[in-house]
Amino acid sequence: MSLRNSFHIAIKALRKNKLQTALTMIGMTIGVATVLTMIALGSGAQTAIQDQVRAAGMNLIVVTAGNYQIKQDAVDEDAIEPASYNPRYQARFLRIFHPEDDPMAKHDHPLARQRLGDSEAGLGAASTLTISDAEAIRKLKGVQYVSEGIHMNAHIVRGGKRWFTRLHGDDVALPKIRRAWTLPQGRYFNQREQSKAEQVVVLGAIASRELFGNENPTGQTVTIWNQPFKVVGVVGSGTWMVVPEAGDDQFDAVYIPVTTLQRLLNLSKLNDITITTNSTGEVTRVAKAITDLLRVRHRIGPRTPDDFTVTNQARQALAKGGMRPEVARAVVGNVAGLEKVTLEQLGKTLDRASATMTALLASIATVSLVVGGIGIMNIMLLSVIERTREIGIRRAVGARSHDVLLQFLLESVTLSVAGGLLGILIGCLVSELISRSLQWSATVSLLSVVLSFGVSAAIGIFFGYYPARQASRVAPLTSLRYE
Amino acid sequence: MNPVISVRELTKTYQMGEVAVKALRSVSLDVDGGEFVTVVGPSGSGKSTLMHILGCLDQPTSGQYFLEGRDVARLSDDEISGIRNRQIGFVFQGFNLLARTSALENVELPLLYTNDGTSSATRRKRALEALEAVGLADRAQHHTNQLSGGQQQRVAIARALLNNPSILLADEPTGNLDSRTSVEVMEIFQSLKEARGITIVLITHEPEVAAYGSRIVAFRDGVVVSDQINDRRRTARAEIVEMPLAMEENA
Repeated sequence: MSLRNSFHIAIKALRKNKLQTALTMIGMTIGVATVLTMIALGSGAQTAIQDQVRAAGMNLIVVTAGNYQIKQDAVDEDAIEPASYNPRYQARFLRIFHPEDDPMAKHDHPLARQRLGDSEAGLGAASTLTISDAEAIRKLKGVQYVSEGIHMNAHIVRGGKRWFTRLHGDDVALPKIRRAWTLPQGRYFNQREQSKAEQVVVLGAIASRELFGNENPTGQTVTIWNQPFKVVGVVGSGTWMVVPEAGDDQFDAVYIPVTTLQRLLNLSKLNDITITTNSTGEVTRVAKAITDLLRVRHRIGPRTPDDFTVTNQARQALAKGGMRPEVARAVVGNVAGLEKVTLEQLGKTLDRASATMTALLASIATVSLVVGGIGIMNIMLLSVIERTREIGIRRAVGARSHDVLLQFLLESVTLSVAGGLLGILIGCLVSELISRSLQWSATVSLLSVVLSFGVSAAIGIFFGYYPARQASRVAPLTSLRYE
Repeated sequence: MNPVISVRELTKTYQMGEVAVKALRSVSLDVDGGEFVTVVGPSGSGKSTLMHILGCLDQPTSGQYFLEGRDVARLSDDEISGIRNRQIGFVFQGFNLLARTSALENVELPLLYTNDGTSSATRRKRALEALEAVGLADRAQHHTNQLSGGQQQRVAIARALLNNPSILLADEPTGNLDSRTSVEVMEIFQSLKEARGITIVLITHEPEVAAYGSRIVAFRDGVVVSDQINDRRRTARAEIVEMPLAMEENA
């Protein structure tokens, strides 16, 4: 008998006992829905942790112009420290004047060149990063976002008020790198404004408060270096881990397109380039690729040290990634050897923890699937006894024993798959509901849907085989006599 | 001409706890194509056991059974299923129809297991034709429990004949029917033998019913006690004409 006919018969048989069929299906439905929801919640938690990790800068690489470590005997790849942290070398490389100091309200263009290190100097002070370096890094494999940065201090003037704060010339991609940002008012500057080097500014929450109080600054004008800048938006912190504070680098600051800064100050060099990788696991590889690329681009010979510094370390992340200073201090103090722990190790540990959690939840839910399967087996065994006569009639008119086997097997598989499909539907709905009401990201992946479908079919076959075999083994005559 | 059914020294022993019951003790019988054999005997005489073995629903304890020249004992379970499907039609005392299923679906059941790629439309058409032949075309969609005994038995006959079997085996087909319906069923059997030349083996405990056959085999205690050509054959068609119509059911 063809599979189609068998399936037809199976469906008909199931429809004859609607209540029984529905109740058995519900067992499967609950099982599949629970497993699916648990996996969705678990992987949602995993994503949330990964997001937090990224927000803290786990996939962050910062290339800084200049190299202050060249005098160190051996540079430990995992523990590069800025020279200022090392008292042994502090005296020799003490900077006489800070290039980013800006005590003048009025800006003087010609001086800016020297200030940003365009003038020839020792390697340590060399500032050789350019926008085209950043463009080249953008094309590397595994690189997610790149932002060129020039950082200085400036007076921001609005009417009678002035506020001395950090001024960042950055790329439009910066908000994507600083994941923990929100824009309570307005927007970040866009690609068009950046390529045209327009005079637009995004205020940090603190700068905005100091200059505008509770007013909405969007659309208003501020003056920087006696130039008018149009305010397009305000950035604030999007996570409880980071609270804007006066004097911090992120929110007591203003952001303008790096091109605008270069145009106004007639600069061609950058202070640093900030890069994020697609995944935390790629940080080391990408950092190495960046080093190789920049050495080639800067024509640095094999025996010459780098004229830039690539950092991708916990300290960097903690300091620049936006963690509150006290949190950062607590982390540094409590994680043994954090200086040696690479970011991806930290990320992987967190990943592992949440994966364990997901596995635990899923295995608890699997129990309900097994219970559903046993329900199917139970109902099929009953059904075989109840329908012994029907089996006999079918055998008498020519059904082979494996026709009977197939029919009963298809019945149980139909039950489990139909229950499973309903379970997938309910699981998706429940996950969606949970993620909406609890603000907990719970996404049902295609893989887990396909897997649930496969598992429910497998349960139908596994728990349906024994009853079906019993049915196929009934002798035709015995079953005809059965009342 | 070779006999269609040929059994040699057939025995069947049932083990009922400690006691071994011999249902058949060395039965030998030949049935030629186109014969209408009635097997008559009291209950417990072994006639039903014989029919089950002839219908390949049961296996003998010893002895041989040749169906159209083939030794049934050498066939596989699947081959025997095929024989039941295509060569043999069954009519039972208890009708043995699928409950909560329409007459039409019951009739087309054998075709589902024929494996010759018949489309569902063809199956339906042939089942309807078979129902028409037994005069139940208008009851095709009725469920079997909505039909009277006589109608159910006619559905069973339509089912038995659907695959044009060469042999029809009937086990007390009139046992649950009133006298008029019984005659009607017998009329169907007799016309089948005449029109299609089907070999019929009919089992009954009533000598009056046995009288419709062309040959009567009498059974007692598992052995054949008499086997003769029926000279005084009853003709069902002639009897129906004389019967009052009042009994006709109007279900």
